[in-house]
Amino acid sequence: VIVPFGHVLVFSAILFFLGLWCVLARRNLILILIGVEVMLNGVGLTLVGASALWGVVDGQVFVVFLMALTSAEVSISLAMVVYLKRRKGTLNPDEFDAMKG
Amino acid sequence: MEALLFLILLFPLAGGTLNAVAGMRLPRAISNGLAVSGVIASAVLTVWLWPLAEGDGTRVTLVSWLAAEDLHITFGILFDRLAAPMTLMVTMVSSLIHLYAVGYMKDDPDYARFFALMNFFVFAMLTIVLADNLLFLFLGWEGVGFCSYALIGFWYRERRNADAGRKAFLVTRVGDVFLMVAIVWLCSLVGTVSIPEINSRASGFDPMIVTVLALLLLGGAVGKSAQLPLSTWLPDAMAGPTPVSALIHAATMVTAGVYLLCRMFPLVSLSPTALAVISVVGAGTALYAASCALAQREIKRVLAYSTMSQVGFMFLGVGAGTVVGAMFHLLTHAFFKAVLFMGAGVIIHLMGNENDIFKMGGLRSKNPLLFWSFLAGAVCLAGVPLTSGFFSKDAILVADLALGTPLALVVDAAALAAALLTAIYTFRLVILVFAGSERTPVSHHSVSRVMLWTLPPLAILALFGGAIDLPHLWGGSEVLAHWLDGAAEAAEIPTTLEVEMAIVTFGLVLVGWLLAWRRYRPWHPPSTSIMSSFLLSGWRADRLVELAVLSPFRALTTFFSDGLDGVVIDGGLDRLARACRSGGELLRRMTTGRLSNYLAAMALGLLAILALFAARIWLAS
Repeated sequence: VIVPFGHVLVFSAILFFLGLWCVLARRNLILILIGVEVMLNGVGLTLVGASALWGVVDGQVFVVFLMALTSAEVSISLAMVVYLKRRKGTLNPDEFDAMKG
Repeated sequence: MEALLFLILLFPLAGGTLNAVAGMRLPRAISNGLAVSGVIASAVLTVWLWPLAEGDGTRVTLVSWLAAEDLHITFGILFDRLAAPMTLMVTMVSSLIHLYAVGYMKDDPDYARFFALMNFFVFAMLTIVLADNLLFLFLGWEGVGFCSYALIGFWYRERRNADAGRKAFLVTRVGDVFLMVAIVWLCSLVGTVSIPEINSRASGFDPMIVTVLALLLLGGAVGKSAQLPLSTWLPDAMAGPTPVSALIHAATMVTAGVYLLCRMFPLVSLSPTALAVISVVGAGTALYAASCALAQREIKRVLAYSTMSQVGFMFLGVGAGTVVGAMFHLLTHAFFKAVLFMGAGVIIHLMGNENDIFKMGGLRSKNPLLFWSFLAGAVCLAGVPLTSGFFSKDAILVADLALGTPLALVVDAAALAAALLTAIYTFRLVILVFAGSERTPVSHHSVSRVMLWTLPPLAILALFGGAIDLPHLWGGSEVLAHWLDGAAEAAEIPTTLEVEMAIVTFGLVLVGWLLAWRRYRPWHPPSTSIMSSFLLSGWRADRLVELAVLSPFRALTTFFSDGLDGVVIDGGLDRLARACRSGGELLRRMTTGRLSNYLAAMALGLLAILALFAARIWLAS
């Protein structure tokens, strides 16, 4: 591989923290979900990079599973988003505070 | 034949049980009859089985009570020369008092409870008298205490009566603790609680231990016999029905202490110190109670104090080493005090429940039979020569004087002073009640015949009871002394001393009578001087107990309940709970329910973990 592993790691870290920032800063459920996807992709990139480095296929298998899982997660999450939107008329997560102690 | 002795105990027990279980469903006559016949059966049986007491007496065991390792405690009876006359006295006096009670309680709705308790009382008293071991004796001892508690507070709906019952129970219980310690100690020393074995092995004990044991026994006796300093319960105990006062507080229960000391005399007599203490307690109480009786206004309280005083004489007898004298006075006192109490019951009844002797008067002509019976008891109490009280009191005084020690002289002087006071208050009582004119109209509801006719037999027993131990000086043969010889040896007493004592006591009685006659025959309203109110309140003994015992005790309980329990324990727990609660309040604010807060916290946690890793790597390199 022509890309050095260190670059892969730095790039995936940047992706992860961008996603994290999106999750923390946004006030819209859909954008938060997008942030989560970005974080997951950052992690997936690390796995692929490591797999290429050591020439072991496990990391790539892992990423395939990750994709399948993510698509399932997104389908459930989006269904819930639709439900929540219908229920409260908003997608601001701070409005959903029924668990307040 | 021997096992029949148990029937003496079981007849009153059976009567009491039947009355307790089914008494209210039976007709009054049958319930009363059961109670009376149970006691009379015991009396008859005692007479019939009398020969068993001869020699060394008879010892029978019914069943084993406790058996552990080498400790065997049985329900056993020792019917010996000391127990036999006591049993006879208890059963005889109880029979007459039960008969009297049938008349006394004829309008009371609670007759079954009354007679059940009376019978249980007789059972418990006979247990004390007959038990051959200290634990069985203690069972009776406590039974007597319980029955007297229940009987004094018999009319418990009035708070005063219930309080008097409780007071009697608690004060005697103080003495019981001493007795219990003595029993346990003796058991650990000898390995058995059997009375004859303890007595026969007592001489092997360390003299110091004997003294302490004798004093502990004295402590128990003092509580039950209402001697100083545990005497305050007896005057209040007069709240009970009159037959109860007669039975419990005159004839039987208060003499249980004296009997205990006589029963354990071989042990007690080994310690001169203990004997001296016993005689001091006896003479002190005799003088104290006699002085209190001088000022009492309620007829039954006069008699209560006089009982205390007479039991003091018995203690003096034990202290002087004459079991015969103590037992003699115990027996004669039982008869004359019973007739006095029962007479007092009739008087109160005639006066329409009036207790105050200053409001009575002129009863002599109204009811001559009552007068003569009461007078018979009174002359015995005062110790008029040739009555039973004269002989028995003199026997004790002479025996004490014959000891010749300085202490004995002091004690004897106190006892003689008490005898003088006894004569004064006895004649004061008789004069105020019977002489002069009526100050309260005598009520016309007649006294039940059975009440009135139980008085003369007792009066005759009281008058001639002296015959059971008539001294040689008076032409008698000291029957009781010879009978009890197995139990204790009578000291040789010079005849001159006896004559001198008889003259002195006769003089005292005469002086007492003259003083009482001059002071009370012309009617004066009751004195209200400080002295007489001091005596009326029994030297403020209740106040003293209140100050010396109850107030500190109450302060202590307040300290423990409000201070220690309220502030330290409860307060500590409260504070802990409050701290947990406010901590929870604080933590509750963290759960905002807002997703962004949780996510921020998670991110911070992640940062912290990363920082930790970074720090470890940096430190490792």
